Amino acid sequence: MARESEQAIEHLFRKEYGKLVSVVTHFFGPSYIQLAEDVVQETLISALSNWSTQGIPENPQAWLFQVAKRKVLNEIERGKMMQRHEGQLLSATYDDIDLEVVFLDDEIQDSQLRMIFTCCHALLDTKSQIALTLKTLCGFGVKEVARALLSSESSINKSLYRAREKIRNSQTPFDIPQGEELNKKLEAVSLTMYLLFNEGYNSSVGDSVIKKELCWEAMRLTKLLVDHFQDNKNLLALLALMSLHAARFEARIDNRGAIVLFEDQDRSLWNKELINVGMHHFNRSLNAGQLSAYHIEARIAAEHCLSTSFESTHWQLIYDQYLLLQQLKPNPVIELNLAIIQSQIGSIESSLSQLEKLSQRQSLRDYHLLSVTQGVFNMKLRNYEQALSYFRQSLKQKPSKKEVMFIMNKMDECEKLLPKH
Amino acid sequence: MNHLSPDDLQDIMAAYKGWVEQLGANYLGGQRLEDSGTMLRSKKESVLTDGPFLEAKEIIAGYFLIQAHDQQEATEIALSSPHLGLYSIEVRPIAFPKMK
Repeated sequence: MARESEQAIEHLFRKEYGKLVSVVTHFFGPSYIQLAEDVVQETLISALSNWSTQGIPENPQAWLFQVAKRKVLNEIERGKMMQRHEGQLLSATYDDIDLEVVFLDDEIQDSQLRMIFTCCHALLDTKSQIALTLKTLCGFGVKEVARALLSSESSINKSLYRAREKIRNSQTPFDIPQGEELNKKLEAVSLTMYLLFNEGYNSSVGDSVIKKELCWEAMRLTKLLVDHFQDNKNLLALLALMSLHAARFEARIDNRGAIVLFEDQDRSLWNKELINVGMHHFNRSLNAGQLSAYHIEARIAAEHCLSTSFESTHWQLIYDQYLLLQQLKPNPVIELNLAIIQSQIGSIESSLSQLEKLSQRQSLRDYHLLSVTQGVFNMKLRNYEQALSYFRQSLKQKPSKKEVMFIMNKMDECEKLLPKH
Repeated sequence: MNHLSPDDLQDIMAAYKGWVEQLGANYLGGQRLEDSGTMLRSKKESVLTDGPFLEAKEIIAGYFLIQAHDQQEATEIALSSPHLGLYSIEVRPIAFPKMK
């Protein structure tokens, strides 16, 4: 098969995998996520072998759904046989949902929503929630999940296995929660989506293509949630903040793959369409009963996206938003941000003295970004000797590979600027 | 999706400001946290180091409100949280609103 159609098929498979697994799980029940994944896997394998000889069918999605349905029926037959022979029970309640119905267009979306709530089950730790989401809803292979979460394949396999076990043992129905329960569950789901996005956005470690994919998937699933729960303002604020951050994607890394500081980013590379979309979501998120952290963060991101230059940024406003955030959830990283913004609304010296105070804190003592910031600010004040010692310190605090590259560059600059003896 | 004009954008920002002001002191349901408490580290050593706290720009801001008799009981409850293992949790008593 030509390389081009191979890529098209890979893309199609990834897109359809999550839908199919959700639909088949809806049919079998959440105790059989693994079985659903196997059925879908087999469907894709038959597609591959069939299409490579017969060519890609006119409607590949319909083809996949048809074959998946047949395999589901085979599984049920096999289940009945096993039941007769070994007394094993697949489940006797399949007649409740008509197989044709779960494969209807409207139901596919619904099944995916149920799958999201299942993956974000309260019994699972965050890492397992994210791993299971990527595996079942986003069509990631175990290898890709491992790469995305900076883990090994065997440890991802183990955590996926345990997650499926926990879901099976909890006997949770494959439902969209209702009433009071719904708001609580939506909060948990939002947090997982937020962390999934952060996983892709925050780190400069790992495969950047996979990382970007994490962000798009977090946004796609959040969009699904937003479309369904239209009155939920926090979800809208979350989608707004994701869109506004994603808009700056291309400008954050230069063409050699190195980190570009916010101050030095080429603003013409920011995605205007995503900023526009983000602002629409932000607008719809307003006037909720309570202020959420997502709202505040979206407001900060909006300020950055709409400022025409680093210098013209309304720093006092951003400072005030961080203060709100600090009240909502006191956190040393927010204090660090406040200290950094101090350099914009006050002076670099006052910012440095606050950073010095923060560096005495237990929780920030080994935080390499703090030392890097101290180094960069000292450079601005032409204290190159001092800057070098902060950069050296930061290298001992486990920065990522890309960050090491950045720090080494800065150290070179300092060396060159030091007065010659 | 319609393209927002600069005026539209200003309106949105103004609407946000008006809304937050209108919420006033009640924006958190009148609660804020005391400045000191217990900081829990991860239960296990082998955890992902690449969490959302990495970059100074993006911050996770979520909290769970729990009811407990004292700090110790609260800490025990927090220890059972599924989020612990990947993230640190701070346990803090809620401050009673101070009248100005």
